[in-house]
Formats: sequence, structure tokens, C-alpha cells
Amino acid sequence: METGSHNHCTPRFRLLDESQILRIHHSALRILEEVGVKINHRGGLELLAAHGGRVKEGGIVRIPSFLVEEAIQSAPSNLIIYNRKKEPAMELGGRRIYFGTGTDLPKTIDLETREIRDTTADDVILSTRISDAMPHIDFIGSYGLPKDIPPGLHYIRCFQLEAENSIKPIFFTAGSEEDLRIIHDMAAVIAGSGEELFDHPFLIHYAEPTSPLTHSEEAVSKLIYCSEKGIPVNYTPALLAGSTGPVTLAGALSVAVAEALSGLVIHQLTRKGAPVITGVAATSMDMLHATASYTAAEFRLTHSAYADLFHHYGLPIWGTAGCSDAQVPDLQAGAEYAFTLLNAALDGANLIHDCGYMGQGFIAAPEMIIFANELIAMVKRYMKGFEIDEDHLAMDVIKAVGPGGHFLGERHTLDFFMKEHWRPGFLNREALPKWVKKGKKTVNDKIIEKALDLSKTHEPEGLPKGVKAELSEIWETANKKTRR
Amino acid sequence: MRGIYDGILEGKVDEVAADVQKALNSEIAADDILNQALIPAMDLVGERFGEGEIFIPQVLWSAKAMQAGMVLLKPRFTSTSGAARGKVVIGTAKGDIHDIGKNLVAIMLEGAGLQVIDLGVDVSPERFVDVAVEQGAEVIAISALLTTTMQSMGEVVSLIRKRDLPSLKVIIGGAPVDMTFCRKIGADAYGMDAMDGMKKVRELLKG
Repeated sequence: METGSHNHCTPRFRLLDESQILRIHHSALRILEEVGVKINHRGGLELLAAHGGRVKEGGIVRIPSFLVEEAIQSAPSNLIIYNRKKEPAMELGGRRIYFGTGTDLPKTIDLETREIRDTTADDVILSTRISDAMPHIDFIGSYGLPKDIPPGLHYIRCFQLEAENSIKPIFFTAGSEEDLRIIHDMAAVIAGSGEELFDHPFLIHYAEPTSPLTHSEEAVSKLIYCSEKGIPVNYTPALLAGSTGPVTLAGALSVAVAEALSGLVIHQLTRKGAPVITGVAATSMDMLHATASYTAAEFRLTHSAYADLFHHYGLPIWGTAGCSDAQVPDLQAGAEYAFTLLNAALDGANLIHDCGYMGQGFIAAPEMIIFANELIAMVKRYMKGFEIDEDHLAMDVIKAVGPGGHFLGERHTLDFFMKEHWRPGFLNREALPKWVKKGKKTVNDKIIEKALDLSKTHEPEGLPKGVKAELSEIWETANKKTRR
Repeated sequence: MRGIYDGILEGKVDEVAADVQKALNSEIAADDILNQALIPAMDLVGERFGEGEIFIPQVLWSAKAMQAGMVLLKPRFTSTSGAARGKVVIGTAKGDIHDIGKNLVAIMLEGAGLQVIDLGVDVSPERFVDVAVEQGAEVIAISALLTTTMQSMGEVVSLIRKRDLPSLKVIIGGAPVDMTFCRKIGADAYGMDAMDGMKKVRELLKG
């Protein structure tokens, strides 16, 4: 028997060593102790003060390290997120990777006309259905900010449309706590009751502090609400190095981590053990165009760094990948999708969002969800590695075939070829003559074709009639209330 | 004067302050220092930024150097020169706290020699108009990053109409804003970025 060797090799990556992890950790703690954070929410401020936070002028509170360490301890290190049917869908923890789309894209590239136009509610329905059909898309974001829904109502409407068009877990944003309440009501109707929802959450709320080192009233109220109600919340900063954070990556990372951790403290003080996902986005601000990059190498570095740090903490980790700064699905988009997805997988991030994003987080292109799915599959094959054991070393077969023979007809080849080798659905593997004969289709052509096909044929599992009707009622009430 | 000009291009705050003081001490008129050194220098900074030759941090330091000079010039301006330059009220739309863009535009406008009243973030339509009227500003510049906050830009335009202030112009900008939205709400101009915003404000002030 083979001893002392694992017979399965898998890619491994880490950026920070132990001492560097501690350095960043201590830097974040120092920021919280010596600089503090501004809490614009009375209840949040009082909560921190009551537990040892030192309140200074202007709503700034300095947070002692023990509060941070306690919050890291009490926050669950593994979260089961269910789908709409109460089946476990994601286990967020460890180095398990899950992928999903993002939220709030104001523009969409029309599938047919290729025009970059305002996003509509129909786009949200379409992207939800496409995501529903994709085997490697594990959770669903609105992927749109519909212009044809009154502002202030769109978060609620998007949640409803997503729930109606897929059973997959929903990653959602909300404007105010009021939006959250209504969405929670809808989710409780779907789950059967508030308690059922608490036990089988199929939704994750996404909220953010404001860099640098500020927690707005709205953000804190949503954070606290989610903690109380057991709604898993992803509370993560998006910081621009050189603008809303230090220009140097180590500094930007420390500030962002301090923001995430201070949010974690408030969340856990509200209710110990409440479900939470953490992480940061610290990226470059382009110093010419004042735009935020979704794909910069610097972003990948801070992403890998905080992943190492939060693995060390043992907390479920948010991630960003499968996105592009390009305005249209071109070479840049292809390169950036691949680069970011591979990195996020190697980082072992758990909840990797924004797959399908274009235009620096402003543009949706439904076919790119399919492209992201394809690359995720490829990355997953890579992450799977390969086995090194008797069967896979294949000595018997090698001897049988011998020099100058071939392996195509071997039993071994038949038995293993499908498990061992990944075949793309859309990336080209055809030789030139056939490709020409079949119409010279690029991968862009193929994914658009598939998206159009799905838009006509894919039938997601709908909501039970009674539930659908109740959601409509909740929507109508909210709609009328706002229009008054 | 050449020293002041170069000092601004290079973002040398203390040197510009010292040189401006020297120039004032040698009886050179404040208006001349402004029009022959400060403004042309910032014009070139704006041009280079527009061409992608220099970047935001460098623009900001040039602006700081210019401000250091301005601070010394202000008390020496004649009343006519003060009025001629134009006044702009700037801020981010109600509910919006994203101010990088707004800050850049404010700097470009000051660099162009305009008087800028920066109301900061999350500014209500009423405050925009009240301050503009109070201070005699000719232009209100509003920035937004969120699609939810850009709606209040339309309210500023309506308020101006309601209060019958036809000479008060509105320029808007920000990532979710475009020319179509500008036309829809009846604003007077749309700035694509800081440079473009600055140029459009100057046009609004001329016409």
C-alpha cells in the first residue's frame, strides 16, 4: 500500500504567510482602536458603547480588540443556505466555492438588437431564468436595476420576480429597512412562516459600510434587522484605493478589513451566532477616469489577501469574479472573466458574486451569464486536479499498448475519458473546415443563441399559486403606498 | 510670473504661495497674477488631464498650489473683477454621498477662476436654490452616482421654474446621468466628466 502520499493533487494557492496575516489583522485592530469608525445609527452606537466601545465626538467609536475577537468567534464558520424549497443549496465555509450573479445593473445589452439600453423588469426575469438554467450558477442576484419600476420599489419587485423565476437562493439588495421588512414578509410567505424562513434561509442580503470607516444609518439598521431576523447578511465594504482608502494595497486592505470587522461586531452583538458573510472589495480607482476597476490585478491581490485572512478567522467569505470593465463582450471581457474566476477559485472564496457583470458594474449582458457558467466549469475542472494512483498511472494499459500503439480503443480510455476530461459547451474545439462549414460561429454567437433559446424555452419551477397570489398582494400594497 | 505658472504645473504649494506674495509685493496687480499666471496654468493642467498626460492626484496638487496663491490674491481683488468671474453652487444630489466627481469638478471650476460654493453631499433641492439665490450664483452644478438620487435633480429644475428664476442654470453629471436624462428633466447642460463639466459651466456663464 502507498503510505505518506495523497493520491489526489489539487491546485493550491496562498498569498499571505502566517506572519503577514497577523500583520494585516493587527493593523485592522489598530485602526479600530486608534482611529475608530463613525456610526451614524444611534442604536448601533449605543450597542457598541454598552459593550466596551469608547465613543468620541462626532459619533466616532473606538472598538477594543476583544470585541472583534469575540465577534469572529461567535459568528458561524459554516452557513447552510437553502433554496426556495428548503433544500440545502450552498454550504458557505471552508474553501467551498459557489458562484452567482450580482445586483443593480442600470444598463443592459439587448440580446437581439445589441443596443446598450436601460434595464427593464423583463431583463430581471430573463437573467433570473438564464441563471436558473445554468448548472454552475448557484445563487441569483437581480442583475439589473429596472428603469420601468418606480425608484424605491425596485428592490421589492426584483425580489418577487426572482423568487417567481427560480428556486435558487437569492442574493438581494434593499434601499431601506422598510424594503427589508417587505422582502422578509415575502420570503416568509414563500417559506411558510417566519420561523420556517429562520430555519431554512434561502436569501442573503447585501449591505455595505461607507469607506472610509463609516457606517451609515441605513446600513446599520439593515445589518441589525438581518441579525435579529436571522436573514444571512453579506456586509462588506467596496473601497477605492487612493480615493476612499489609502492608495497602497496593504493600507487599503487594513481599512477595508476594519470596516468589515466593525460591521461584524455590531451584527454579533445584536445576536450572537446570527448568520453573516464577510469580506472586502478593495480595488483601484483609475486615476485618469475616476472609475472603479472590477478586474484590476490590484483587486485580485487584495482579494487573495483578505481570503487568506478570513480563512484564518474561519468565517464564510464573499468574493467577486466573472466580471469585466469592458463595455461589450470582447477580448477584454473574455480575459477578465477568466483571470478573475481562476483567482477567486484559488482563493477559496465561498460566495463569489458579480458573475456576468460588464462595464465596471454598470452593464448587464444576459449571454455573459452563460459565458461565466462555461468558464466556471473550466475553472472547476482545473481546481479538481487529478488522481495519482494505480488506476490513473495506468501501468497495465501502458504495457499493453506498448511503444507505437494507441490508446483510443482501450477499455481504460472508455472507462475514464469522460470523468478525466472536461468538454466545453461553447468554447471552440472544432477544426477549421468543419467550423467554416457550420457557419463560422464565434463563442459570442453561440452564447447569444443559447440565451435567446433559453428565453423562449426555459420553464423554471414556479411558485405555488397561493404563494404567488400572496406575494402579488404584498407587492400591490407596497406599490399603492408609494404612489400615494 | 513664470515661477508661479510652473509652480502650479508642478503642484509646488509653498513655492507658489511665496512667489505670489513676492509678485504682490512688487506691485503687480492681483487681477494680472490671476489672469496671466494662475488661470493659464490651471487651463494647461486641465488640458493635460483631458489628454491623459497627468492624473487626478497631480491635478489636485496643482489645484492646491493654485489655492495657496488665490488665498493671497482674494483680499486684493477689485470689486469688478470679483463679479466678472462667475459663481457656481455645487453639491451632490439629495441622498447621495459619493463626492469624488463633485470634488474634482469643484477644483476644475476654481482652477478656471470661478467662485465655487461647495455645499457638500446630500443637498436638498431647496438648499441648492436658496443658496444660489442668496449668493447670486449663476449656475447650480449637481452630481449623483446612484440612479435613485438622480431623480432629485429634476426637482431642482422644477423649483427654479416655480420660483421664476430663468437666469439660474443647472448642469448635471455623474455615472447614471446622460444627455437623455438631462433633456428629460430640462436641465441646461450635462457634463460627461470633470473636464467636460468645467467647459460646459464656462459656456453657461458666457451665454
